[in-house]
Amino acid sequence: MKKIIAYTAFLAALAGTGCKKFVDVNKNPNSPLTVQEKILLAPIELNIAHGVDAGGSAGNDGEGEAASFTNHFMQTICYNQVALNYGTYYFVSTDMNLSWQQLYNTELENLQQLIQISEKNGNANYTGIAQILKAYVVAFTTDLWGDIPYSKALNGASNLTPTYDKQEDIYDSVQALLDLGIANIGKSQGLKVGADDYFYGGKMPQWVKLAYSLKARYYMHLTKAPGHTAVAQAQLALTALQNGMTANGDDWKFDYPGGATSQSAWYTIMLPYSTLCASSAIVDTLVNRNDPRLPFVITKSKNTGLYTGRAIGTPSIGNLDDYSSIGDYYAAIDATQYILPYTEVQFIQAEANWLVTGAAAAQPFYTAAITNNMTKIGVASGDIATYLASRGTLTAGNALQRIIEEKRIAHMLSPENYNDWRRTGWPALTIVPNAQTAGIPRRLIYPQSELNTNPQPQQSAQFTDRVWWDGQ
Amino acid sequence: MNQPKQSNRCRQVVRRWPLLLVLLLCLAAIPAAAQTKKITGKVTDEAGNPVSGATVREKDSRRGTATDAAGNFSLTVKNNAVLIVTSVGIEPREITVGETDNYDIKVKPRDNSLNEVVVTALGIKREKRELTYSTQQVTGAALSASKETGVLNALTGKVSGVQITASSGQPGASSRIVIRGNSSLLGNNEALIILDGIPINNDQTGNPSGSGSGTSRLSDIDPNTIESINVLKGSAASALYGSAAARGVVLITTKGGAINSKPKVMVNSQYSFENPILPKMQTRYALGDRGVYFDGDTKKTSAVWGPSIDSLRSVGLLSYYKDPLKAFFTTGHTWTNTVSVGGGTDRSSYFFSYSNLNQTGTVPTTKYGRNAIFGKFTNKITDQVTATLQLNYSLSSSHTIPEGYDLTDPLWTVYTSPSTWNPLPYLDANGNQRVFRLSRNNPYWDLHNIYTNNKNSRFIPVVTVVYKPLNWLTITERGGADTYTEQPDYYEAPSTALVTTGRVIQNSSNFRQLNNDLIAEARHGFGDFDVSFLVGNNIQSTYSQTQSTTGTGISIANLDNISNGAVITGYDTLYRVRKIGFYGQANVSYKNFLNLSLTGRYDGTSVLADKKNFYPYGSASAGFIFSELIKVPAISFGKLRVSYSSVGNDNVGPYSLTTPYQSAGAFPYGGNAGFLISQSLGNPYLRNEITKEAEVGLEMQFLHNRVGFEVSYFNRNHDNLLTQGVPIAPSTGFNSTTLNAAFMTNKGIEALVNITPVKSRNFTWDMTLNYTRIRNKVTKIFGNTPQLQIGQTWAFLGKPYGVFYSPGYLRDSSTHEIIVDASGLPISTQNNEIIGNLQPDFLAGVNNNFTFKNWTVGFFLDYRKGGDILNSDDRYGYFYGTPLVTQNRQDLVVKGLVQGTKQQNTKVVHAEDYFQRLNTNYEAAMQSGTYLKLRTASIGYKLPAQMLGKGPFSTVSLTLTGRNLFIYKPGFTGSDPEVSSYGTGNGSQGVYGNTVPTSRSFNLTLNVNFK
Repeated sequence: MKKIIAYTAFLAALAGTGCKKFVDVNKNPNSPLTVQEKILLAPIELNIAHGVDAGGSAGNDGEGEAASFTNHFMQTICYNQVALNYGTYYFVSTDMNLSWQQLYNTELENLQQLIQISEKNGNANYTGIAQILKAYVVAFTTDLWGDIPYSKALNGASNLTPTYDKQEDIYDSVQALLDLGIANIGKSQGLKVGADDYFYGGKMPQWVKLAYSLKARYYMHLTKAPGHTAVAQAQLALTALQNGMTANGDDWKFDYPGGATSQSAWYTIMLPYSTLCASSAIVDTLVNRNDPRLPFVITKSKNTGLYTGRAIGTPSIGNLDDYSSIGDYYAAIDATQYILPYTEVQFIQAEANWLVTGAAAAQPFYTAAITNNMTKIGVASGDIATYLASRGTLTAGNALQRIIEEKRIAHMLSPENYNDWRRTGWPALTIVPNAQTAGIPRRLIYPQSELNTNPQPQQSAQFTDRVWWDGQ
Repeated sequence: MNQPKQSNRCRQVVRRWPLLLVLLLCLAAIPAAAQTKKITGKVTDEAGNPVSGATVREKDSRRGTATDAAGNFSLTVKNNAVLIVTSVGIEPREITVGETDNYDIKVKPRDNSLNEVVVTALGIKREKRELTYSTQQVTGAALSASKETGVLNALTGKVSGVQITASSGQPGASSRIVIRGNSSLLGNNEALIILDGIPINNDQTGNPSGSGSGTSRLSDIDPNTIESINVLKGSAASALYGSAAARGVVLITTKGGAINSKPKVMVNSQYSFENPILPKMQTRYALGDRGVYFDGDTKKTSAVWGPSIDSLRSVGLLSYYKDPLKAFFTTGHTWTNTVSVGGGTDRSSYFFSYSNLNQTGTVPTTKYGRNAIFGKFTNKITDQVTATLQLNYSLSSSHTIPEGYDLTDPLWTVYTSPSTWNPLPYLDANGNQRVFRLSRNNPYWDLHNIYTNNKNSRFIPVVTVVYKPLNWLTITERGGADTYTEQPDYYEAPSTALVTTGRVIQNSSNFRQLNNDLIAEARHGFGDFDVSFLVGNNIQSTYSQTQSTTGTGISIANLDNISNGAVITGYDTLYRVRKIGFYGQANVSYKNFLNLSLTGRYDGTSVLADKKNFYPYGSASAGFIFSELIKVPAISFGKLRVSYSSVGNDNVGPYSLTTPYQSAGAFPYGGNAGFLISQSLGNPYLRNEITKEAEVGLEMQFLHNRVGFEVSYFNRNHDNLLTQGVPIAPSTGFNSTTLNAAFMTNKGIEALVNITPVKSRNFTWDMTLNYTRIRNKVTKIFGNTPQLQIGQTWAFLGKPYGVFYSPGYLRDSSTHEIIVDASGLPISTQNNEIIGNLQPDFLAGVNNNFTFKNWTVGFFLDYRKGGDILNSDDRYGYFYGTPLVTQNRQDLVVKGLVQGTKQQNTKVVHAEDYFQRLNTNYEAAMQSGTYLKLRTASIGYKLPAQMLGKGPFSTVSLTLTGRNLFIYKPGFTGSDPEVSSYGTGNGSQGVYGNTVPTSRSFNLTLNVNFK
């Protein structure tokens, strides 16, 4: 009996001291709590190209569907489905969730992590890159949603309900971020960036050119913003572009390896299961203009061998193979995703020069941009000349229309086209049959995920409302 | 039989597992007084068999002992003392000590159902009458009568307060078990499973592709080795088991041998065939669109909105006509063979069993198999020490197809196929898939090119050592492990139809859980009081590791090997969770009519915040057997019980306190590694959640136990629920976090009624009814958050758990009439609306058993009232024109108001336009989960003893059982509303879609017992 008592007492004592230690096994063996810059930069870049700009899904880090929405609005792609779908502006708030997850969680939070880590380590090149990319992501987000969480955002548990900033203020921040990025790269401090930089392979001068080119892009977004004038914005853009891209070698792009797990975004987006095909609006435009880029950017129908787009909003379900799809230039398995190519800079120069000086000043930039784009796509020089001739000369009356129309064709799937359409009204779009909104959407609605967890006054916005810079 | 008189009843009851408490140590030292003498004796039952472990003690004294294996005892008592002999399951007897020193004491079994012995927490056997909380026992025989291959499915409908939901009709498919309602928003809601004192894993595993369900690991246990299952429903019953038991406990007790019994050999052989219960689809219209015929070969479409079959036939265009479901599904077969032997010597007992199960599914190619070995050996090492070693080994394997909303699921296409296109052969002359529509695989191609092969090898050893140094003290040491290795391989060939690259996923999972309990129990009687104390310690350590490799880009057909991938990626996850608990229990019984019980436990866990990871909780309960005080002839038994408990729980995964960086999707990529910060924000302040439960119950038996009932009312409050994956605004930088956030309540009534309408020599009719009604309410989510997505359903403030929240009909705010647009079609809301709820109104079951001479007939009806289910097959089908309702293709006028004008709609629309519009409207696919099932109906015959004569057999019986012979489902158009197609997870509940249907089956069982 005494033995039992003694034994029990001993065990109890042992248990008392050992318990705390026994349960101290909650250190995560699977995932680190700190990482180096390069480990973050690579997935951030892949997700910008694949998710944000192309609207695809890279692994399980969220889809950037917002870019796809702009291609439905621009009537470039079309579901082979009956009327109620994205093409007819049928959306519910939950359709926006994945995009915000991609923008705020995959991109902005990690860019902030990258900025903090690189600042702490004194690796200014990484800080600079992160700031430039952050500017791009923030601008992408505000262009589609207007007022968005920015100055109070990304604070984790310390602010669970960040208020939204005015788009006007965010635009100031975007320019400031780009200036900071340029300044940080100028420091030439710390680690060299290497193969983890898919965009430029660590070539910092090209990052600086990109930053200036982005500045120009965002100055131009404000051509009709309240309190801004088109001419002044164009002037700012041209000034920025003095340090901007100067050749195709400066293109901001992502080259897909095209392996089994590295297929291009547009290849995967257009796989048959999506039931997506090319819209008749874009196919007919290219066919009617005898655009020599047609065979490169649009496929023939597998069944008929003809270039046939599907009319968005029509009621019946046909055979997907009766319709054209997106061509190899964009949707080859190993295609290149152009986020901001030099040709966009050339088109900005054309538009800005038209605004500042006039049509004649714009003409050489316009011609060079088209020629450059067609050459890149693989069009024969004779066909380029024929096409240019058919499109005529820029005049005061047609310059803006022509420049933007050509810019849209040159970068057929770029989300930037939707910004240009809202700014300039070009290319002319007709509202689709069975549309679920009173007009072509001029912005996106806020995601259900924010509505549920962070109610803010801005969230009443509808598709037909306009963002701040989209002045009447 | 009459109720035994109070005076004859023993005051002291179960003492099979006596226990220690320091308090009692002093009492043991009180010296004996008066004249004493030593007596010996033997306790036997009516048949003369020795009764071992019976308590023999002197009335109004502490002196007592227990009989040994041969029923013998010796005891020193006062002269003229009164001996009281008690044991579990026998009538207590009092014998006055006279002149002789040797006593042969015959005891009788106690009146049926009052003496029911049940297994309670920690494996302690107690008489049901003295329990202060609600439990329900299901015998092994009742489990086998269900003819289910898995234990959970065998329990379905039998236990009040319990809801079991199957995921699919695929062999080995998982089932979800929830006791007394959902208690967590996003955490584990399923009951804790205990096998002979050891918690065992019941995760849903074995489905690396993630589409559809998997297998619930409890199905590794062969139901034929189960002696009984006890369901501990309330927290008062389960509090001793610690945190996980707040969700209810399923206590499985396995069979064993018996001391001093000859080897008993039993052979059980079963065969059954299963036919799927197919939903009715429209088969009157052909493939095509707007009445135009598409032949599926030269003209393809997904629409089955073509011309009528009759019109095609009349012009000789109909070349093929077959119901695609009937053509696709086949008859499944199940063979089960079990052989077991049990027996014992005077100091040891043994039981061994082997079973083999082979099942082919109703989807061609699918199968499931299980080989299970079970052995239990008990040995009395010394008079004071008894040791039991038991081993459970099972090897299960399956070949399954993906299910659910996934392109790899053949059923997606089967349920929306036309009856006018022949899907075979599935390849054309060039080796490409033949399809009637693009963007989907040919379902027959899927069968042979997309599948999962899984193997699970599981080992559950348990060692129990019972030390009885004193007749009132028992020390039990029980150590056990649950370990398994699982190796699912998923193969997906490249598809010419979908232009996919194909992939192989090979997983290897190692799970091990070690569990140890050291328990001391003391029991003693003091005059009218009978007291027992128990203290114990529990240590639990869980380790699980999964290594997964994926080979993407397949080039060699059907080479199910990782080397087949062009790009190989992988991950490795390891989870380690440890818990430690100290517990105590005190039971006091007064004059056999008042029972009080107190439990307390102090738990430590590895998953909660430092300084918050140790927490206490406990319960108090009382039972009042009023029939002992107030004698009414018709009332044979009556008990009122009340309990209150508060149980802490650590229902959260490990590593929830920090926010790590995780390997980014698609990485490694182009030679770079890539990590991104977790989108789930860690919370370093997590503490335990609490379930508080109040319960009252009434148990009564009438007319010599011919009629009886048990009814319980409970009120459970689940507070500060640990909620993993609480969405937070993406603009915080994170998508979700883990919080002690939600509050939920469950209030419910459980009832069980036993009736024996007829009981005569040759004919007996037994009837059991059970009823469950639970009302769940989410009372807080977090902060002011009004709703939280669970998966397919949502939690809503003030609503029951599992609300369907999706676009529905736009309705007029005052008249609630449907609003139609200018074209006359109903408008779907742009925002989500509450359109249903998956909680049933009530569940009920009726079991009838008739015994007539050697014949037995039984049938079991099971009813669920209410509970909505989203018929996803119909929702998609509206688009394609395949559900039965689309067979009516008359133009129609939708009843509703025109948007804007609010005039009654008069616009005529085509049926195709109408149904395709409904495709965007989830409300149009919300259906009722109400069903009435004849779950089993059986007829059995036992050969008369005289026929067996002197042959080797003691009993031979043959039973024919039909399962699901009848399902009445008035508001549901699919196969069976009692499924959640996407598995057992919280997020999967309430959706029926693209799933293998429930089967109707016939089972023939031959049972032979050897002499």
